[in-house]
Amino acid sequence: MKKLITVLSILAILYLIPLIFGSDLMAQNLVSETSEETGGLFEGLRHFWDYTGFSNVSFGNLIMIAIGLIFIFLAIRLHYEPLLLIPIGTGILLGNIPFSPGAGVGIYESGSVLNYLYFGVTQGIYPPLIFLGIGAMTDFSSLISNPRLMLLGAAAQIGIFGTFIGAVALGFEIHEAGAISIIGGADGPTAIFASAKLAPQLIGSIAIAAYSYMALVPVIQPPIMKLLITKKERLIRMKPPRAVSKTEKILFPIIGLLITTFISPSAIPLLGMLFFGNILKESGVTERLADTARTKMIDIVTILLGVTVGASTQASVFLTSSSIKIFALGAVSFIIATAGGLIFAKIMNLFMSPGNKINPLIGAAGVSAVPDSARVVQQEGIKSDPSNHLLMHAMAPNVSGVIGSAVAAGIMISFLM
Amino acid sequence: MEENSMSFIDWSEIWIITGVGYMVVFLALLLLMFLFQSMPKVLNLGLSSKIKEVRAKAAARKNGETKQEKYISGEVSAAIGLAITLYYKEQHDEESGIITIKRVARTYSPWSSKIYGVNNNPR
Repeated sequence: MKKLITVLSILAILYLIPLIFGSDLMAQNLVSETSEETGGLFEGLRHFWDYTGFSNVSFGNLIMIAIGLIFIFLAIRLHYEPLLLIPIGTGILLGNIPFSPGAGVGIYESGSVLNYLYFGVTQGIYPPLIFLGIGAMTDFSSLISNPRLMLLGAAAQIGIFGTFIGAVALGFEIHEAGAISIIGGADGPTAIFASAKLAPQLIGSIAIAAYSYMALVPVIQPPIMKLLITKKERLIRMKPPRAVSKTEKILFPIIGLLITTFISPSAIPLLGMLFFGNILKESGVTERLADTARTKMIDIVTILLGVTVGASTQASVFLTSSSIKIFALGAVSFIIATAGGLIFAKIMNLFMSPGNKINPLIGAAGVSAVPDSARVVQQEGIKSDPSNHLLMHAMAPNVSGVIGSAVAAGIMISFLM
Repeated sequence: MEENSMSFIDWSEIWIITGVGYMVVFLALLLLMFLFQSMPKVLNLGLSSKIKEVRAKAAARKNGETKQEKYISGEVSAAIGLAITLYYKEQHDEESGIITIKRVARTYSPWSSKIYGVNNNPR
């Protein structure tokens, strides 16, 4: 109602200006020289109307605005990844406000502010900066204390490679299939980074799919856990993780950086920044830098990334059959990744002595949605046994999933570029 | 997206990328796993050699190879005791140890006299 009154007021002011001051005041040649005063008025109003969002609105815009509002609702009401869904949801609204083409405001119009901010997405600048912040806030202690749990992070990457086959089978071109497959890693920045390199035209759809499913981890994963893990297995108690020395904590990012980037150099921007952030944290002498990376810097980049990725979903670009297929593939890849981690955990248990068995629920945390999937594991664990806390154990496959998905993205890029 | 590209897909290439890619991810994390499983042993190598040295000395002492025990003379003990005492004394400020109340004598002045105060009852 308030908006309506505002619009009507603007229209009334515009109507009164030529009446009071004469039609010469109307800029932008709204009135032709030969036209009468009232004709100029109507012509001006019509022209103004052509510039408004009401005139340019399409059904697609309305659908996307509804999707943006749903994102904001999910974030505020259900607390599904609010730090991501609020910027993305608002970005979707921004990107789908209809405007007259050529106005220089759209994200795909060169020279517009949003286009400049979007540069960080298309050139893959934001994801490594996000990884720097993640590295500076991640504690790898649980992983170092129980290194065998790294394999769960590797096993869950079957989501990436399964999606790759699925995308090719659905008719996507091989580079596009490679970019889409990274959704299976459940890692938004990695998916954006890979699609910026392999299929820039699909960044919007891929990013939205990846972040949507990351936000829906608490909805997607529990049914798969219930389906694949028996009640008895859910009750398994794991040994508490051993204390990790400071030396080990410092050595982990250095060795991890060297090994993973030697194997997958295409992932240097991601893995390099991840481990660099962790070195800042663990070295103990760069606390100020680590603090900036894990707080202010990651917040700024998250805002820019979220808004621009959201704004990139202009209905004309986003509402295509490809996007629908990408969303379908994303859902399947998440299910495959979760199931892959769970099944691998069960297989690992077959080879372990009774005292060393792992709770297979933590396999679901192999998808790299940090720390949401670990939190889901914890919640599912305490449903079966309120005193069995799995969060610390689940963080190990969770962070190894981040490393695994970045390595997988690097491999995809090096194979396909 | 190339809708008609299905016929041109080289599926063997797809399977190779999938298989090799997945194996390489496993390989990277396996390497890290093995390294960090052996890391505590490697880090404790130096420490364990020191422990061995100490144990060897203790065993040798038990066997009576080094019977000379080290004694600390009384003078040295006194010097150490004095040093410790001085150290702890220095942790506090030196105080005079004299506790007195100083009388402050004020000379009479009508300005401070209670007799001439404005609040005095005239009765």
